[in-house]
Amino acid sequence: MPVWDKPTIAIDERAMEALIEHSQDLHTDAMAVGRATLPDLADLAADRRRLDTPADVDVLAACVDASRSLRRRLTVALGGLLGAGAVSSVFASSAAAANGDIDVMQLQTAVSLELLAVATYGAALTLPFIKDGNPVIVAFAKTTMSQHDEHRQAFSAQTKALKGTDQTAPNPKYAPIVEAAKPTLKAPIDVVKLAATLEQVATETYLADLNRYTDVTSRVLMATVMGVECQHLATLRAVGALLTGGAPDLIAIPLGAGVAKLPAAAGSVAFPDAFEGVTMASPPEEGAVK
Amino acid sequence: MTEPTSLSLSRRHLLAGAGVLGASLVAAACGSSTSTKASPTTTTGSTTAPTPKPTTAATTAATNTTATTAAPPANVDAKIATLAAGLEVLAVGTYKAALDAAGAGKLGDVPPAVAEYVKVSMAQHQAHLDAWNAVITAAGGTKVTAPNATLKPTVDATFAKVTDVTGAATLALMLEQIASATYLSAQKVLTDKSAIKLAGSIQIIDAQHAAILLYVLGKYPVPDVFAKTDLAAAA
Repeated sequence: MPVWDKPTIAIDERAMEALIEHSQDLHTDAMAVGRATLPDLADLAADRRRLDTPADVDVLAACVDASRSLRRRLTVALGGLLGAGAVSSVFASSAAAANGDIDVMQLQTAVSLELLAVATYGAALTLPFIKDGNPVIVAFAKTTMSQHDEHRQAFSAQTKALKGTDQTAPNPKYAPIVEAAKPTLKAPIDVVKLAATLEQVATETYLADLNRYTDVTSRVLMATVMGVECQHLATLRAVGALLTGGAPDLIAIPLGAGVAKLPAAAGSVAFPDAFEGVTMASPPEEGAVK
Repeated sequence: MTEPTSLSLSRRHLLAGAGVLGASLVAAACGSSTSTKASPTTTTGSTTAPTPKPTTAATTAATNTTATTAAPPANVDAKIATLAAGLEVLAVGTYKAALDAAGAGKLGDVPPAVAEYVKVSMAQHQAHLDAWNAVITAAGGTKVTAPNATLKPTVDATFAKVTDVTGAATLALMLEQIASATYLSAQKVLTDKSAIKLAGSIQIIDAQHAAILLYVLGKYPVPDVFAKTDLAAAA
C-alpha cells in the first residue's frame, strides 16, 4: 500500500519544520548532483543510441553512487518523521528501477554466462567422444556443470535480493557462438577449447566487475565464484595441453607415477600470466535483462 | 538495458510518493537504483554459496543499505597491501628454498613439470610482491621486504621436515590456498578500485597455482563450488 493511502500518520510539527529545513539542504545538494550527472547521462544515452555502443559503466556507477548517497540521507530525514516502514514503502514502489542498477546488471550478465556454461557442458556430455571417452574428462564436465548451476543459483538469488529481475536466458553474445561451434566439435580438444573460452570469459568478466560493485555482498559473491571459474580454466588449459601434446593417458586422477612423465610445460601452461587480464570480459549490460 | 528508460521510471515512482520534498530533489536523489541490499555476509569455508538473503521486510531496507555501504577505516587498504606483500615475500622465499633444496638433491627426483611450476610460480609471486610494493610506496609507505611474521615460523618448521616433492608441493599448496583466501577475504574491506582489481587478479593466479598443485598431488583440481576464506591470513 502506498504510504499516502495509509490511514493516519501523526505529524510532529517541530519535526516537520526540521524536516523541511533539512529537505531544503538536500534540495540544494540534489540540484548540484543533478547538474553534474544528468548531462553526462544524457550524453551517454545519446551516444549509445547514435553509435549502438555499450554504456560507460564508470559514468553510470558515479551517478548511482551520488544518487544512493542522497537517497540514504532522504531516508534518514523522512524516517525521523514517518518511521522507517513508511519510508521503505515509498522506495519499494520504485523497485522496478533496480534493473538499471549496475550491480544488478552485472549479476544478470553473470547469470547469463552461468546458464550458457551449464548448457554447453550439458551438450558436451551428449557427444560420443566425451561421454564414452576419458572418465576424468567426463567427471570434470559433470562436476563443472553442477558447479556452474550452483553459481547461477547464487547470482540469481543475489539479483533478487537487489530487487532485480532474474535473468533466465543464456548470454546473448556467446550463445550464438556456442551454437555455431557445436557442429565443429569433432574431438575432445575441440570441446576443451570451447569450454576454456567460456571459463576465461566468466573469469575475466567477474574480475572486471569487482571494482564496479557498490554492494559489498555482491562483490564478495562474485569473487568467490571467480576463484572457482579460474580453476576450471586452469584445468582445461592443462588438459588441453596434454591432449595437444599427445599425452591423453596423463589425464588421470590420481596421476601417481605419471607426474614424472608430465612435460615441463604442464607445470606452467595453466597460468600464462602473472596477472589475469580483462580483455575478454563481458560488459555489465551484455547479459542484463532488457 | 537502456539507462534513460529506467531512470525515468524510477523518478516517476518516487515523485509520486515523496512530492513533499520537491521534484528536483527526488529526481536527483533517485536517478537510478532503489534496490534493497542484502546484509554483508562472510564466506567461511563452506562449499555452499554465501547465499544472499533477500530482504522481505521493507523496514530493514534503510538499515541494510547503510550497513552495506558503510565505509571502513581509511587505512584498511594500506593494511591489506602490507599483509599481501608479506605473504608474497613468504611465497617467493619458500619457492626459492624449494629450488635450492631441489638443486642440492634434497628432494629426490624432481619431475620437469614440477621444476617448471616452481620457477614460474616464484616469478609470478615476485611480480605480485612488486605490484603491492608499488601500491604501498605510491601511498607514501615503505616497501615490504620481510615475510609475514605470523606464518613464517610455521612455514619454516614445515619446510624443515620436507624430504621430497610431495612434501614441498603440499607446503606450496598451503601457501597458495592461504594467499587466494586472503585476497578473496580482502574484497570485503578494500575500498580503492585499483586495489580491488589487483587483489582479484592475484587471487585468480594463486587459485590456479593451487589447482595444478592439487592435480600433481593426486587430488581433484577444483574441489570447492565456491572459493573459501577459512584459510585467510589476518591483517
